[in-house]
Amino acid sequence: MNALRAELRKALSLPAVWAGLAVTLFGSTAIAVLNSGRGKTAFETALGGMPLGTVGAVVIGVVAFSHEYTANNADAGGGRQITTTLTVTPQRIRILLAKVMAIVLLVVGSAAVTLPVTIGITHLIVDTTGPGVSFGDAIARCLGGTLYWTLMALIAFAITVILRNGVIPLIVLIVNSSVVSVSFLLSKLTSLAFWLPDVAGLRLFSDVMTVEGALDAGPGGLVMTGWAVVFCVAAGFVFTRRDA
Amino acid sequence: MRLGNVVLSELDKLRTLPITVLTMAGTITVAAVIGAAQRRAAAPVDVVPYVQAGFLLLGILPVGNEYTGRQFRTSLIAVPARGLLAVGKTAAAVVALMLTAVAAAAVQYALDTEAEGIGRYVGMTAYLMVIGLLAYAIALLVRHLVPALVGALCLVLILSPLLAGLTEHARWLPDRAAAELYQPTDAALTGPLVAAAWIAVIGAVAIRRFHRSDG
Amino acid sequence: MITIDQVVKRRRSRTILDHVGFEARPGRVTAFLGPNGAGKSSTLRILLGLDHADSGTALFDGRPYRSLSDPLRTVGSMLEGSGAHRSRTARNHLAWVARSNGIPQRRIDEVLDEVGLTKDGKVRVAKYSLGMGQRLGIAAALLGEPEALVLDEPVNGLDPEGIRWIRGLLRGLADAGGTVLLSSHLMTEVADVADDLVVIAGGRIVTTGTVTDVTAGYGDLEEAFFALTGGTR
Repeated sequence: MNALRAELRKALSLPAVWAGLAVTLFGSTAIAVLNSGRGKTAFETALGGMPLGTVGAVVIGVVAFSHEYTANNADAGGGRQITTTLTVTPQRIRILLAKVMAIVLLVVGSAAVTLPVTIGITHLIVDTTGPGVSFGDAIARCLGGTLYWTLMALIAFAITVILRNGVIPLIVLIVNSSVVSVSFLLSKLTSLAFWLPDVAGLRLFSDVMTVEGALDAGPGGLVMTGWAVVFCVAAGFVFTRRDA
Repeated sequence: MRLGNVVLSELDKLRTLPITVLTMAGTITVAAVIGAAQRRAAAPVDVVPYVQAGFLLLGILPVGNEYTGRQFRTSLIAVPARGLLAVGKTAAAVVALMLTAVAAAAVQYALDTEAEGIGRYVGMTAYLMVIGLLAYAIALLVRHLVPALVGALCLVLILSPLLAGLTEHARWLPDRAAAELYQPTDAALTGPLVAAAWIAVIGAVAIRRFHRSDG
Repeated sequence: MITIDQVVKRRRSRTILDHVGFEARPGRVTAFLGPNGAGKSSTLRILLGLDHADSGTALFDGRPYRSLSDPLRTVGSMLEGSGAHRSRTARNHLAWVARSNGIPQRRIDEVLDEVGLTKDGKVRVAKYSLGMGQRLGIAAALLGEPEALVLDEPVNGLDPEGIRWIRGLLRGLADAGGTVLLSSHLMTEVADVADDLVVIAGGRIVTTGTVTDVTAGYGDLEEAFFALTGGTR
């Protein structure tokens, strides 16, 4: 519990984490506002900014770990925070679990603020007459979107732990949440690509029609969760076995 | 103090950092793999959108590396004339970007089912260099690798396509404007000018800050 | 000859350097002493053109650092550690530094040998210990065979053998007519090597003079230091 508190504190004192939260909230809201008046329903309009939330989540996941390895006195003999972290909490699995929980709390928190805000705003400015989504559907997709962000953050975190490098997960995961997603390109070559983590979970929040051939929300969500678990277990395996 | 020495020294800096070399090699590899995959999927081969991320990183590294430790202090002590340092660094970045862009365009040429006019490949090279220079200017302004990288990736890969679907004004965004370099349009000159203006403005603000700030 | 005159530096409303002025003369080792946070590094950063002074001048033979052409051939300097990128090898670090000032690449071997890093030249700086980083910083300072040397806390992280080595190095440079300015918060480390002392406390110069002048009336340098800087034991 103390480890979790320490990790939350560390995370919230990083400007990059706040930047990630800001990208999620303001980016999504701005896109939702620009998206209005395009003839979509208020709900679809609100979800238009989902990719920015993914970016925010990925940033949070990456910096939650990568900052440990940034030398504060970056040339020779410089101390890295990881040394302090490991001496304060020598049980490495406990550190990782605390970090995972801190990331989940931060991302779920950002979703809990962002999604209602964007939906509220689009309902104010988009004409809401005509067919919309049912309340249950809307809740399901919001929860799905939150799950998607959280899992992306955890995958980003795990890759950072394994590689001890934040640049690669940032590039790979941001590229893959964009229109030039490599996973998407692969899905044109082989339907196996629909089982890749980022594509598998797409239907958690997106319209059923948008991704032809993709896994349904339920199985897709399970597959993506499976990936996140595999990545995190691998990260735990690596982190407990190597020298800091 | 000679500019030639400063440029050579900046090139040394890029050449001897593993991450720069890896980024260049990685970008070209990605171009080849993606192009081959597109060809197999019988989709039109267009590697440019996929290698943009590599050029963004390559543009950021020359500046980002200075601030990951105290190297920037050493740079200022070796070359205290900041204008000269900025010019030398920019020249070295252009060289690295150009080498990689030419290689990426060559990959595109090799994989194209029917080769097009040379102008298109020159345009691609120029476009990728502009994308890299945009990231370079952003990095010069922001100074730190991760925020510059996330900002540049978001701008070019996420915001630009999202906004393009929403409003035609998105063509004023730097990457959209620069894309006219290789995508034939009727107004072929305005796009590159708009992109150049973006880079010039961001770069000017950054260099102003660079000149005034304490090292 | 290093001349610092009436230098004032403010950060927000705080005055960090309050009309700081002193000289470091050729042929002598000048030690710049003061407790942590007294303004030593701030002064040296202004001297080396890294930071701007709000007023006053800091000159090498009458010229500001930023106006020197190929400055490393005139002034060698080291501030806190190596100033090298972690992922670069020592040799590659020295190579770009030398290149920027048109210094021949053979000097790299010479300075690596001089600081005792020859066999670690191809090791990445991230693997260096504090003392090795310090030696690399000194190697970079010596690259251009400068007539003036400015070193911030050069003995930091060095082992006793290293401290002895650096004393000999500085003495040799000064005896050959060079100007040596080094800062330290460890007065005992510099007492044996320094000719002149400059003591700073709270952003002001409290005394300057030869070691004998400064310690006159006190039992030893340490006692003089605490009395002058207002510290307590």
